[in-house]
Amino acid sequence: MYGFEALTFNIHAGYLEAIVRGHRAGLLTAADYNNLCQCETLDDIKMHLSATEYGPYLQNEPSPLHTTTIVEKCTLKLVDDYKHMLCQATEPLSTFLEYITYGHMIDNVVLIVTGTLHERDVQELLEKCHPLGMFDSIATLAVAQNMRELYRLVLVDTPLAPYFSECITSEDLDDMNIEIMRNTLYKAYLEDFYRFCQKLGGATAEIMSDLLSFEADRRAVNISINSIGTELTRDDRKKLYSNFGLFYPYGHEELAVCEDIDQVRGVMEKYPPYQSIFSKLSYGESQMLDKAFYEEEVKRLCLAFEQQFHYGVFFAYMRLREQEIRNLMWISECVAQNQKSRVHDSVVFIF
Amino acid sequence: MEEQDQMQSSIEVEELEEQQQREGKRLEEENVVRFLDSLDSYVTLLDSLSSTLRQGWLELASARQSMGASRINGALLDLKFHSAATSLQVTHHDDEILNQPHFTLCKWASSKNGYGDEKLRENKLQTNSDGPQLRHRSQFAGTPEKIPETKGAPLIVDDQVQKERTKSLSMFGTLVSPKLRAAQLSFETALETLVEIANVRLTMLSTSDQVRKELEGTEG
Repeated sequence: MYGFEALTFNIHAGYLEAIVRGHRAGLLTAADYNNLCQCETLDDIKMHLSATEYGPYLQNEPSPLHTTTIVEKCTLKLVDDYKHMLCQATEPLSTFLEYITYGHMIDNVVLIVTGTLHERDVQELLEKCHPLGMFDSIATLAVAQNMRELYRLVLVDTPLAPYFSECITSEDLDDMNIEIMRNTLYKAYLEDFYRFCQKLGGATAEIMSDLLSFEADRRAVNISINSIGTELTRDDRKKLYSNFGLFYPYGHEELAVCEDIDQVRGVMEKYPPYQSIFSKLSYGESQMLDKAFYEEEVKRLCLAFEQQFHYGVFFAYMRLREQEIRNLMWISECVAQNQKSRVHDSVVFIF
Repeated sequence: MEEQDQMQSSIEVEELEEQQQREGKRLEEENVVRFLDSLDSYVTLLDSLSSTLRQGWLELASARQSMGASRINGALLDLKFHSAATSLQVTHHDDEILNQPHFTLCKWASSKNGYGDEKLRENKLQTNSDGPQLRHRSQFAGTPEKIPETKGAPLIVDDQVQKERTKSLSMFGTLVSPKLRAAQLSFETALETLVEIANVRLTMLSTSDQVRKELEGTEG
């Protein structure tokens, strides 16, 4: 019952909530980003990060550094934090924490299947997989020729199995089918996560429904924009939208028929929470839309920490850390390409 | 009388020699001007190539940030055998002045679409590098005047080119970010610039040789 979490939450999850709030305090501040944006080389970035929680992960990396190395090592920090929390968690928090990684699992499955289709070596693909999305039988994905085999041989024993019911066909895997599979899986995963949070109830349900609804709406907008000018039909596009969120169902009807970015803008501006996103963009512009969405997401994730005794703080911390890693990746790319004037195009400050 | 004839013929010879000298000087100056023009074009194109490539790499990084590192990485490049979507043709001119090869880029040409030998210039569709690079059918239906007349209908050519572009990007997925499409267009422009640089460089080297020969001839 909402409001009584204060009585029982700390029994099982008090320690972990304290841990995650401690991790949150270690996120980079605006001052850290200002220092990083002034770096001349990747070694300078490494030097500045040595004073942060990423220090131990980067200290042994030899020069010359690459941007992918910085991202990999910073991701290891996130993985270590996650694994520590997961091994300490009891039900239902442990299931909640596992749900957070299913998105990465889907990305890894699609990466392996796509790479295999392109005749790439499996070991090379496994090195590119996100560590949070790894599972035991992932390497055997390479033997599947169609989705039915994919499911039967590998995925039936993974947490993604229930999400395959909507996309099992005997058609051979090709680029379009894989894309539809990716988005269908993610849709099913989001809806399942949403239902799980609703079942938990209380502050977790309230906060997570807001965060997941935003995620569903953002995916709907991105799918609409990315499918403009492609062979994806309107019906297929609509099938990829999640069945919840602010846009469901009438916004989805309108998004499905959009032919350009301005029409998408017209749909979004009817919803007050999203008006502020497009107010920052000029007409016809889509390059800054991602940054606007990330800024809105960060705002909502930070608000999750304003309340206690709910699982939303774990989700929020993971997402904020991922945003931080994206920021570091962008700063590193701008420094490596000697384009520091563009560094503020995509950096989203968290504090 | 004979003396007058001799004087006249010598005057005519002198005039002829002067005319030849003037002509020779004019040709020399023309070659120098041509050399300087080609040098200027070469330097300008190099600068343009540099800025286009910088833009392309940054757009690629931006797309990677938007779509995620697992969707845009080198491990997804297709190693299966497939025909080249773009090829370079080398032709030799019979020009007396510039007897040199000429490079022509055949973009998005494949045996399937039957426009294999056409050079499709799509610069006008993406000259604005700051704006979004979304493509949709209505845009191409309204811009036939921007495409030079080719063997088939311009709209069919546009559609085919878009399909080829989408096909080449499909290794990263079929629903890709507009930033990745913008990066593709930037690198496409860079490729065109490279071919122009190659042609201008040939002209520059050829005119440089001519100028050098003329100078050596003058000194000798």
